[in-house]
Amino acid sequence: MHELWITALFNRFLAGPATAVLNAIHYPAQDPRNPWTDWMVCEIIVVLFVVVFFAFLRTRLSVQTPGKAQHLFEVVYEFIHASAEEVVGHEGARYVPFFGTIFLFILSLNLIGLIPGFDSPTMYPMVPLGFAVATFFFYHSTGFREHGPGYLKQFLGPILWLAFLMLPIEIISHFARPLSLTVRLFANMFAGEQVYLTFITLTKVIVPVIFIGLHLFVALLQAYIFMLLAMIYVGGAVAHEH
Amino acid sequence: MKKKLMMVATTLLALASPMFAQGTKGTASADYRLAAAYIAMGIAAGLCGIGQGRATASASEAMARNPGAIAAIRVALILGLVLIESLALYTLVITFVATK
Repeated sequence: MHELWITALFNRFLAGPATAVLNAIHYPAQDPRNPWTDWMVCEIIVVLFVVVFFAFLRTRLSVQTPGKAQHLFEVVYEFIHASAEEVVGHEGARYVPFFGTIFLFILSLNLIGLIPGFDSPTMYPMVPLGFAVATFFFYHSTGFREHGPGYLKQFLGPILWLAFLMLPIEIISHFARPLSLTVRLFANMFAGEQVYLTFITLTKVIVPVIFIGLHLFVALLQAYIFMLLAMIYVGGAVAHEH
Repeated sequence: MKKKLMMVATTLLALASPMFAQGTKGTASADYRLAAAYIAMGIAAGLCGIGQGRATASASEAMARNPGAIAAIRVALILGLVLIESLALYTLVITFVATK
């Protein structure tokens, strides 16, 4: 696939460090002269932008005279906090950092694809896979932290003598969760891009704009859904049977 | 009505026989894979449409009956729609894999 201009820049100047890092983890690049991939470069750009932006915003926070950005992000935070409390339960506020990171990072990665010179990293299957695996380990670790080793009793089902039936079903369904999270996010972003390309070649003007609008809506929705499903899984893991 | 549908379906499938005359698009098995991929995606998209239509209809009716619960019903509706959508997307991914 044709390389982005920014990936070409990275490959020209930073190919040495990239090759060194990849060789250190025994995973050599597919094309040794161009070790940087489109999705890695765009992810790093998003991370740098987000870190710099929020570091700058942090210095501008004020209780008496909040600025516009502060208002906007207070609304976003309140939304995430309220959703977490509603879906996870009373202790949901503890996990808001993870949910907020998931939501804002996936949203930024989805939206950067709309800018002409950049690509959505979530369009490549490995990036949603990373998010899904991270969520998988996160919700199991919250379960272990809440219940201790007794967390595993959840997989045996309500009635003890049916455990031999419930255990394979529960294991399969728990492993299907990261798969479905990955495929949902990847396929939505990839299909959005493909549809846009198809309509650019079919009808050069006006109709692709409608599909960009649809892709924007889907990007927002998919980020929200990833966060919501992560909350539901955490809620299921820390639930106390009363 | 059912007999008419069967006749239409048989006619359409018979009309597809010129497909066998194609030689330019690779081997015959690649043609079968493409045809199967198109049919599979069509069926998946159609059934997904039916499912999402039912979900939306029942959510709208619930919101009309109980305006106080609109926020909660909206969350359940969005979640349901996305989960149904993802089933059609799994089929899309399989068509990409099968026609590689």
